[in-house]
Amino acid sequence: MLPLSLLKTAQSHPMLVELKNGETYNGHLVSCDSWMNINLRDVICTSKDGDRFWRMPECYIRGSTIKYLRIPDEVIDMVKEDAQAKSRNRTEMNKNRGGNSSQNQRGGGGGGRPGGGNRNNAGNRSGQGYGGGPSNNAMRLGGAAGQQGNRLPHAAKNNRK
Amino acid sequence: MDDLNPLAGTAHLLEEVDKKLMVLLRDGRTLIGYLRSVDQFANLVLQRTIERIHVGNEYGDIPRGVFIIRGENVVLLGEIDREKEQKLPLKEISVDEILDAQRREQEQRQEKHRLVSKALKERGLAVDANIINEDFC
Repeated sequence: MLPLSLLKTAQSHPMLVELKNGETYNGHLVSCDSWMNINLRDVICTSKDGDRFWRMPECYIRGSTIKYLRIPDEVIDMVKEDAQAKSRNRTEMNKNRGGNSSQNQRGGGGGGRPGGGNRNNAGNRSGQGYGGGPSNNAMRLGGAAGQQGNRLPHAAKNNRK
Repeated sequence: MDDLNPLAGTAHLLEEVDKKLMVLLRDGRTLIGYLRSVDQFANLVLQRTIERIHVGNEYGDIPRGVFIIRGENVVLLGEIDREKEQKLPLKEISVDEILDAQRREQEQRQEKHRLVSKALKERGLAVDANIINEDFC
């Protein structure tokens, strides 16, 4: 699973993106491309020093400005399930192909893909904080950004602890 | 190396997959985790990652989870020797303590830089603070 495929798998999941300049963006991944350009939704931007915050409904980040992305643990598990399902599929397909070969059939449309739908069961672990960022100040989100009220889904927890 | 190989240059990184690696980023941070994937840009996927902060001969680990690191931000990486890891000549302290130590170290460094640039200024030299801050932006 290539890094960019993993990123694609992480669509709709919460993530933390740190830019080369130290700013961090917490939000849900909407889309990404092969240049690592990304769209985020429900974003909280944190300054490099970690004491200023901005909320925005969505944002676009150019891939070349990214330092790293942090994604939830379960996204990797989803990949493993997918891979298992695929290899199971492949062995079944091979079996079918062997059986059909005597019957003059081209096995193109063979069967659905059982087990392919695991993806949505993983859900978002809301307790996991993606608010750490470059500094240890994520705890201050609650206080410093009072006007943001309670709508801080995952950034307010300090994952330094 | 075979020029037709699309992974030429990163091919030897493939041998590090699933090993426990230490990755040093350009901003000076140290990450330690299991390498799960690489691509032709040397983008990395690290799982069960910790960020390790060193101050003097003390260190602290902060659990961080899964990283997708853009390759161009990596300075170096290397496998962790599991045997040597057991007998580090360093002392592990709690996250709070290491963050505190890091903050003190940072303050000392800033104070030093302040004195240096003051001394230079008195001698008629102007120095860009960003350069001596070792800030990579």
